[in-house]
Amino acid sequence: MNKSIVVIGAGVAGIEVASILADMGYNVFIIEKNKNIGGNVAFWHHLFPNNRSAAEVREYMNQKIKVPNITLFPNTEVTDISQKKNVYVVRTNKDATFEVGAVLIATGFTPFDARRKEEYGYGIYDNVITSVDLEKKLERGENITTTQGMAPKRIAFVHCVGSRDAKVGHTYCSKVCCITGVKQAIEMSKMFPDAEMYCFYMDLRMHGLEYERFYKDAQENYNTQFIRGRVSEVSENKDKSIQLKAEDTLSGLPLKMKVDLLVLLVGMEQGKDSDKLCDILHLHKTPENFIQPQDPHLQGNVSSRQGVFIAGTCIQPMTINETMQNARSAALEINHYLLHL
Amino acid sequence: MPTITERLAQDVRFKESINSCINCGVCTAICAAAEFYDYSPRQIAGIVQEGNEEKIIALLKSDTIWFCGQCMSCKTRCPRNNCVGIIIAVLRKISQEEGYFVESRMGRQQLLIKRNIGSTILKYGYCIHPEIVNPEYHPEQGPTWEWVYKNKEKVYERMNANLDKPGSGTLRKIEQDTLQELRDIFEVSGGVELFDKIEKYSFEKAAEMGLASNPDSMDNYVKYISNE
Repeated sequence: MNKSIVVIGAGVAGIEVASILADMGYNVFIIEKNKNIGGNVAFWHHLFPNNRSAAEVREYMNQKIKVPNITLFPNTEVTDISQKKNVYVVRTNKDATFEVGAVLIATGFTPFDARRKEEYGYGIYDNVITSVDLEKKLERGENITTTQGMAPKRIAFVHCVGSRDAKVGHTYCSKVCCITGVKQAIEMSKMFPDAEMYCFYMDLRMHGLEYERFYKDAQENYNTQFIRGRVSEVSENKDKSIQLKAEDTLSGLPLKMKVDLLVLLVGMEQGKDSDKLCDILHLHKTPENFIQPQDPHLQGNVSSRQGVFIAGTCIQPMTINETMQNARSAALEINHYLLHL
Repeated sequence: MPTITERLAQDVRFKESINSCINCGVCTAICAAAEFYDYSPRQIAGIVQEGNEEKIIALLKSDTIWFCGQCMSCKTRCPRNNCVGIIIAVLRKISQEEGYFVESRMGRQQLLIKRNIGSTILKYGYCIHPEIVNPEYHPEQGPTWEWVYKNKEKVYERMNANLDKPGSGTLRKIEQDTLQELRDIFEVSGGVELFDKIEKYSFEKAAEMGLASNPDSMDNYVKYISNE
């Protein structure tokens, strides 16, 4: 029995799977294209729903891989995977070759490129940023100001940017943006107590136990108003403030609003790395372009190819805690497969 | 006889233009007409999606379907790939075919459009021709227009146009065989039949309102609908 596994991606899912399998006595090789581990959490500031620092999660991950039978290969990309009976041969751009019993894909997601929704002016107007930009700024300890250096008096958040939108080919809900919007509105309100926050949404999907409480808190204590309508277009005023248009669908009236800062809550999409691996391994994909599990109920971590497993947001949008749980189930699935090989 | 709802569903343009609206309002938010009129493309999508025959007929009889400028901005935004602009085009056609258009102020103006742009293209080969923009019906053109209208030969010559003369140039006379091709297209595609229906229903309405006694003397009705 080959007791080695290649894990592709050192984000939340990859590291969790690696650490559990290492505990079970397997040799795990983690291949990570970036210099640092952590994936999208590497640059995140605070996490919903309790505003804990993402650094704590990063620290957890750092500790988890400090075991002898996990080897991390940073700055490395998989170039080819071939199969000889029950052994997978994984090659990288660093000319390393791994012969392993199973491969786990944990390549995660890519935040939606907001420039594709040109009508929101990202990359065109200075005071339009994304939720990712805001996290990065907060994590770097930068002051949040308009590009003119002023404290924002009114901030709007646009929900579903790159999600539930046939125009960009993403018909699915990215699941985490609604609550991220609420979290960021509260953070901005704490930073600018006199400022007004507006969230423009189609539906608010408060699916976590604590999310509804968070949402209520934003409304009651953090100057946040929720307007049910999708923003159709933004433009820039002479003073660089942002003019947006939407319909307040609950009152049935079109509205225009001037804001100092516009935050686009970008969704998740399948990354190029997952696409490449799907091509190499001929894996099935869902219509949403995520990797298709063998059986969504009973074999959620099994890909369409024997010996190739999947975990985390390369399967579908997930929160961090869902990714953790998903990764643990993937580890059990891999163990079961290798034991019965 | 299919119901109006069934007829909508049979139109390929309609089928392509409404896929489960989620009422996000982005069409109304981008709509130029919604900014100025009591008009909401989102509500149109809601009504046709609901499929209530009475509500749809009420819509066909209302001013509402005539506010859209057919700019198709809604098409560029809808996250479900709907297009209310196209739905409006289908509703308008049924309103014309069934005569519901005469029940609203803006609907009644279909006669003016048919007689101006619609007939002019068949008569002159142009949608708008200087001959038909009668100052009497177009006060919006201002007082200078009347002078231009009366002196059009000289005015257009000075503008380097070739008004109503053979040869090349702006506003040249369109040759008979070309005009015949245009008429054939309108005949085959149902355009002529639709024009006849607009005339027919408008005359019936004019008669009902006591503004015309035969289809050839509709001047009072035309004046009425131009100014109502």
